[in-house]
Amino acid sequence: MRLALSVFLGGLMGTGLRLGIDQSLPHADTAFPTSTLIANTIGALVLGWLVADLWTRPGLPAWVKAALGTGLLGSFTTFSAVMVSLVALVAAGFSALGWIYLAATLLLGFGAAALGLRLGARLRHRRPPDLPDAGGSL
Amino acid sequence: MSAWLVMSVLVAGGAAAVVRFLVSRALDVGRGRVPYGVLIVNVAGSLIGGVVLGLAERAAVSDDLRLILLTGVCGGLTTFSTWSVETIELALTGRWRASILNLAGTLLLGFLACATGYLLSR
Repeated sequence: MRLALSVFLGGLMGTGLRLGIDQSLPHADTAFPTSTLIANTIGALVLGWLVADLWTRPGLPAWVKAALGTGLLGSFTTFSAVMVSLVALVAAGFSALGWIYLAATLLLGFGAAALGLRLGARLRHRRPPDLPDAGGSL
Repeated sequence: MSAWLVMSVLVAGGAAAVVRFLVSRALDVGRGRVPYGVLIVNVAGSLIGGVVLGLAERAAVSDDLRLILLTGVCGGLTTFSTWSVETIELALTGRWRASILNLAGTLLLGFLACATGYLLSR
């Protein structure tokens, strides 16, 4: 129940951030959806970093993963909007633009996910080792 | 845009994220395999998105409802970040078949679902 609530609140914020980007960079159904591309690329980069760094910390509460990963970043990024834009562009006769958009999404999004995972792994190794009793004996 | 509309989109997105959470937890396959839960919600969200796109084209849904359904429900239900990070993780751990299956399967089924939903509802 607490996890579901964490996902709900994170999802609320992630959707709000995506709505904000959509509203500041509005596009017609037949134009290149820059806002979705930006949200998906940033979201994949940040999630990659979290998975490789923060998620590996011992004792990380499950609700943090649920709120930030599943909720916030999961809802900030979207797969359906990519498909809807692709179908809308193809149906309106802008097939080339649609496939370019899909290629750009895959290239930038998956590139960002890989980069995030790499950066996260590097930062994790730079971190001082976790003390067994969280430093309580110091 | 009215405050009510913004709140409706946000609550729809949060509630849809909970559905995604519950589905992926119920279908937890463990590490190294295709995460079917995320695949299913991404394809289901694409189907709903296609239907809404088709209905909106013949003005069967208002602009406000379209925003709530597309940006809120479909946007919150589906995810790009989890899909991409898990696909890359599968590749990095040498699970090439699962990685390619997750990439191509989601794309193919997602596109087919969205296109079918659009063509049937427009």
